[in-house]
Amino acid sequence: MSRLLVVAALAATSRADADPLRLRADALTTTAAPAGLLTLEADGAAGPGLSAEAVVWTGRLAEESRGDVLVIAVRARTADGRASGRVGRFVESLGALRPLHVDGVAGRLRLPLQLAVETYGGIPVVPGLATARSWSWATGARISRSLGDAGSIGVAYAQQRDDGRLVSEELGVDAGAALGRRDDLGAKLAYDLANPGIAEVAVTASHRSKALRTELYLSHRAASHLLPATSLFTVLGDVPAERAGAVVTWRCAPRLDLIADLGARRVDRDVAPQAIVRARLRLDDLGTSALTGELRRDGVGPDTWTGARGTARIALPHSLAATAELELVIADRDRGLGAVWPWGLAALGWDDGTWQAAIAVEASASPQDRHRVDVLGQLGRRWGSR
Amino acid sequence: MKRRAVLVVCLALTACAGVLGLSRSGPQPFPHRKHATAGVSCTRCHVGLEAAPTTLHIPDDAACTTCHTKPHNQGSCLGCHTAPGALAELAEARAHLVFDHAKHAAPSRGDCMRCHVGIAEGDDHLRPPMATCFRCHDHDAARDARRCDACHRGLEDTRLLPRSHLAHDGDWLREHGTRAAASGDSCQSCHRESFCADCHGKTVPALPATRRFADPFAASVHRAGFTARHSLEARSEPGACATCHSPDRCAACHTSRGIAGDQRRSPHPPGWVGPAAADNEHGRQARRDPAACASCHDGAGQSLCIGCHKVGGVGGTPHPPGWSSKLPLGALPCRLCHTAGGTR
Repeated sequence: MSRLLVVAALAATSRADADPLRLRADALTTTAAPAGLLTLEADGAAGPGLSAEAVVWTGRLAEESRGDVLVIAVRARTADGRASGRVGRFVESLGALRPLHVDGVAGRLRLPLQLAVETYGGIPVVPGLATARSWSWATGARISRSLGDAGSIGVAYAQQRDDGRLVSEELGVDAGAALGRRDDLGAKLAYDLANPGIAEVAVTASHRSKALRTELYLSHRAASHLLPATSLFTVLGDVPAERAGAVVTWRCAPRLDLIADLGARRVDRDVAPQAIVRARLRLDDLGTSALTGELRRDGVGPDTWTGARGTARIALPHSLAATAELELVIADRDRGLGAVWPWGLAALGWDDGTWQAAIAVEASASPQDRHRVDVLGQLGRRWGSR
Repeated sequence: MKRRAVLVVCLALTACAGVLGLSRSGPQPFPHRKHATAGVSCTRCHVGLEAAPTTLHIPDDAACTTCHTKPHNQGSCLGCHTAPGALAELAEARAHLVFDHAKHAAPSRGDCMRCHVGIAEGDDHLRPPMATCFRCHDHDAARDARRCDACHRGLEDTRLLPRSHLAHDGDWLREHGTRAAASGDSCQSCHRESFCADCHGKTVPALPATRRFADPFAASVHRAGFTARHSLEARSEPGACATCHSPDRCAACHTSRGIAGDQRRSPHPPGWVGPAAADNEHGRQARRDPAACASCHDGAGQSLCIGCHKVGGVGGTPHPPGWSSKLPLGALPCRLCHTAGGTR
């Protein structure tokens, strides 16, 4: 199927004489896995209604050579925008339901009364270019109604089966609204139909004024409803993880932003506060050079931790930029793997709009490695505007 | 004491005024407002708007010196009298907007400020917002059909972020899933397929943070010392990993790194499983984060659980009170424990 899609994508892009065919190649090498990675991207359009895109990569990962297709898709749309479709490998995101990487087709049709129907069907992507795969498929649909400028509401349904067995069946409800220029509201709910129960809920509401933005958020997630329905671990019931809080972003000076995220987490019987305080200082009007500092208190139950992080990016002459990042994480509980985990990265990058190169040294201590030093290198080239 | 504190703050602000952007020492935005209130018509400097609608119409030094006959230095006027990035932003707008000043001259009767209302507020925001266009143009059909290309060309290539709809401010990394749920088709106006797949794809070659290591401000869940933090973060938000990763992802990575997969020793602490109720921490932890258990014990590993928790087994029922499922007892996973033709 992938070969067919490659041919289809190339056929579509080869006709894109009027529009630029954009290409990009990136090579990444590190002393850690992946030791080497080459990524090729291409996209082009044969007019406003037909476009194609592909991202493929090959590399040596974890001591084995591999290659895969991240995206290969052709998109088509009618001139009036009423109908559109995609075919190939892409990420399908259907309203409140979790995004799914599929090899398949998707379509969208706008109906009268500001209604729209979208649907997809395909085979969930399995990593690797092997042709052997289990007989698994997924399908879903969503109907939505636009509320003019204010927003839209939608209801989605998706089902996934493997060898005929029900793996996942979910119903989603989503709503989004922009109440004037200052207020936004978004909400989604996913309900597990296979093992009835709420899988995920997220609500966000924000208000912005000239220098201040305030956001209230709430999330509820039940892990047992996110597992495949065939898993034994779905029968343990609902113990949701919940999080609620408020984020205040204040531009207290033209180049200085202060951000405070204060809230709480709850998992089972454990409740813990969380706090993130962050400052970002732009060193020039465009923000190409900037400094950030962050203090964080996070985690719940026995997994609480405190962290600090600093980041600097300094633009240098000749399209060069130097960056440095430092992070220190201190876990409250030492599980025999240490409780103080520093991490740092220093990089030098160069980007002239066509070529891009960077080199970095990364050093860390973590529960996995007492100490570790990696070197990363990157070289990229673009053709066509991007 | 209070006075001293106020004095210290004032001194600090004065010392840091330049760094904080409170006082501008470099190039300044062009004083459009000052010229407009002085009665200088826009087309006196921006000549040729009607004749050559696709050019930028940026006045050169000669246009300035027709009035300012004695320049205060020999440098280019726009070298100092243009906000940083303003010309690049203008060039980008010209390249990506379907717009013709000539067609707007007659309906606006030469009054540029009918659209460029920002001049009344200052010199920083001269480009009219999209809402200004909608005051005269009825784009409802195009907007409803998400045909942004009626006005915007190649939005994927611009660095613009939406301001009047789906504004990407705040903690967008956390918010985007909720906000995009109802507006997925709007996202496709600017973002290519690979934009979503870079993080949500099953065949991602390396973490986005690794591939963009030279850009420390690129938003990413796996930024910085994530390797060290990930176990704490995963246990503090059970199920968060499962929203993108399949359950076997943990075991696959841990096995390849030699952290797990050793059948000779258990990674669990003492008291994890035992005959006494106090020894059964595993039950509480499994309910709390079943995805973590599934990462190692799904598939063949389930036999460990079934040995005790099958119907009639010493482990008792793992179901909570009021448990229900629409799956038949003969289906997976029910049949693993409910053997012998559907014994409950």
